[in-house]
Amino acid sequence: MSETTTWVNPLRDPRDLRLPRIAGPCSIVIFGVTGDLSRKKLLPAIYDLANRGLLPPSFGLTGFARRDWTEDHFKDFVRENVMAHCRTPFKESTWKQLAAGIRFVQGTFEDKSAFERLSNTVAELDRDRGTRGNHAFYMSVPPRDFPIVARQLADCGLSRSTEGAWRRVIIEKPFGHDLASANDLNRVVSEVFDPSSVFRIDHYLGKETVQNIMALRFANAMYEPIWNANYVDHVQITMAEDIGVAGRAGYYDGIGAARDVIQNHLLQLLALTAMEEPVSFAASDLIAEKTKVLSAVRIPRDLAAHTARGQYAAGWQGSHEVVGYLDEKGIDPQSTTETYAAIRLDVDTRRWAGVPFYLRTGKRLGKRVTEIAVVFKRAPHLPFESTATRELGKNAIVIRVQPDEGVTMRFGSKVPGGSSMEVRDVSMDFSYGRSFTESSPEAYERLILDVLLGEPPLFPTTREVELSWEILDPIEEFWSTLGQPQPYRSGTWGPEEADEMLARDGRHWRMP
Amino acid sequence: MIIDMPNTRTREISSKIDELHEERGESATGRVLTLLIWTNEDELEHALELANAASREHPCRVIAISPKRGAAGAQTHAEPEDDAAADDETSNLDAQVRFGADAGAGEIIVLHPRGGLVHHPDTLVIPLLVPDAPVVAWWPTEAPSNPSKDLLGAMARSRITDAMRSSNPYRTISDLRRNWSPKNVDMSWTRLTVWRAMLATMLDQPPHLPISTVRVTGPKGFLPMDLLAAWLRLRLNVPVVIEDVPGATAVTGVYLTRADGVLSLERPDADEGVAVISMPGQSPQTISVPARTLEECLSEELRRMYPDEIYAEVITRGWDLIHPND
Repeated sequence: MSETTTWVNPLRDPRDLRLPRIAGPCSIVIFGVTGDLSRKKLLPAIYDLANRGLLPPSFGLTGFARRDWTEDHFKDFVRENVMAHCRTPFKESTWKQLAAGIRFVQGTFEDKSAFERLSNTVAELDRDRGTRGNHAFYMSVPPRDFPIVARQLADCGLSRSTEGAWRRVIIEKPFGHDLASANDLNRVVSEVFDPSSVFRIDHYLGKETVQNIMALRFANAMYEPIWNANYVDHVQITMAEDIGVAGRAGYYDGIGAARDVIQNHLLQLLALTAMEEPVSFAASDLIAEKTKVLSAVRIPRDLAAHTARGQYAAGWQGSHEVVGYLDEKGIDPQSTTETYAAIRLDVDTRRWAGVPFYLRTGKRLGKRVTEIAVVFKRAPHLPFESTATRELGKNAIVIRVQPDEGVTMRFGSKVPGGSSMEVRDVSMDFSYGRSFTESSPEAYERLILDVLLGEPPLFPTTREVELSWEILDPIEEFWSTLGQPQPYRSGTWGPEEADEMLARDGRHWRMP
Repeated sequence: MIIDMPNTRTREISSKIDELHEERGESATGRVLTLLIWTNEDELEHALELANAASREHPCRVIAISPKRGAAGAQTHAEPEDDAAADDETSNLDAQVRFGADAGAGEIIVLHPRGGLVHHPDTLVIPLLVPDAPVVAWWPTEAPSNPSKDLLGAMARSRITDAMRSSNPYRTISDLRRNWSPKNVDMSWTRLTVWRAMLATMLDQPPHLPISTVRVTGPKGFLPMDLLAAWLRLRLNVPVVIEDVPGATAVTGVYLTRADGVLSLERPDADEGVAVISMPGQSPQTISVPARTLEECLSEELRRMYPDEIYAEVITRGWDLIHPND
């Protein structure tokens, strides 16, 4: 290893920013390759990376699935899904090159011989495609299958790398359903893989807008001075979906909105919004700051007053009629699972003392939107007639994560004309689509490439996962004593409980 | 939408653009830069197509200046009959404004100056620039011998030339080398990015042994090949041999010799776009590497606007190392 740390590639120069980062020889093995995520996101992202010239010539892609397919069947399946979902244009030459490295292994997770075949396939890739023993294993499977897959990988020797080569494992949320199960999961994975080779994907962190939070905060002079309790009144972090539970009923029931979204996405967004400036953007420094701020998060003492949950009832989602959660296929009609969750969190640091962070997420809400709104205090003195500022709200900076990525600032402006002074809210807007590229890379492209390059800054660590469960567990526990969540009409912004929860603090939810 | 504006003035063009923005409910403040193109009428449409495509990644205002053929210096249109009246009613400028589907993700202004106006392109475009945004100047074919002293070049943050597409590539690059400035860059260099990245990636792989000699093959008189050789000479500090491959259209191969054998990157046919990478002790791998399009090169230049120090070293020091007699 000392050789690689002291040796410097003479063709690389930190000033040479044109050179893209291309992954070295490697392969990726996908478990659960026929699933939705793989079809719609992973396979297209791999193709797009190849098309952008960011994958090495020595690249292998192995699918592992139960279906009784030949390699050609599998190639057709990959091609079909790539063509349907790729972001960059489909080029026959790129496809031919990628297809030459595609392999398929048929089998179940219990089948020892299947993993032996996988081991042989990977060895064959090393030999014929020059992947040099570097392999990533993508677990696009339900968490209950992690232990067995990890065990099988260990048993057939695939989890250990030879000298100078790497093995990495990529796991998707959920990282457990509470602290205890997260620890179990972590134990299983870390028995087999070195902790530094475990990459937990939170695809939100691969989004350009989320990375832009750091640029906005730390590259500019005008935000950081007011990014604290002196000026900020409160922060609202929203992730709203307009769809219902759809095909995920089996997974979703019993899990609910908070575990599904707040534990990972929203707490990560909170961490990025609230953390102190990292000393550098190296993974360790960034993780140190995120961990620090997550460890300073305090949950409300009175959980009944400062949290809310709901369950969608039948209604009209925009223009079409939809059924309520309890009538969805595959859902227990007595289910107490929440499809809407809102919580208040405080961050016990000097920067954020007394500034509540309100997190909310839900299904079947008004529209699909994810945003972070930093809402400022009112000006301490308004030298106007009180009638002049009747319509003036609080200033806000809104980071729109999706869709229509960008940043909005809201502030008061004089209404033109009229005989008297009147101030009203206006918006100033920055939109990614207008100022930069029309099509920025998909989060999965960035994240898969980062795994292949071994760059971990955008992946939550074990400690971050633990801390987020420590925050959520007491709330879940409290909720489990409550019975049925309050129903809300589909297509609205959630249950009344949630509005009351903010009204208690003298605030109200933004309408995104 | 294409709007012809014969015999017009810059003020009229500005208000036309404002009017169109208002009509379409757009704002011009999203434009991240102004791209100035100086070109002749033959190249104009091609250059605009490229700029159009590049604007999808970098929404910009494109201002193309293409003097009327044979109009330079001579007052062809504005023959004054009555001096005072002529000043008010005639103009030395024909223009065209393109919007929407005809202008990518921005707007295009085409200016055809005539007469004395041809010699004042800077004050011609100043009222039309996007406020508070960088200006990039691009000469798609013929380049001025000293871009930083050129009137358009002088106001640009970044100056892009393309010596390879000029009528005499080697004379052009020799002018550009002599008059080098940190803000200049030539697209012959941009064409190499993919090759350079692949070569760097090859060397990332162990064993990390020193390179002893380098051979670069390609057609004689192919400017990017000289730059590639100069870059390798500079970075590796070993002798670099350039070998002529008659009939080739681009660099066909790079061979790096080290103690354990030869590492090579070969692309025999640029049109086919398939490259083969061979490393000692490994079976050769093919990879699709299509020839770089001008559109990709222009997009790359618009993506980076800082001075390219590596390019600077290559055309100043590196070039002399491989062409000691120039």
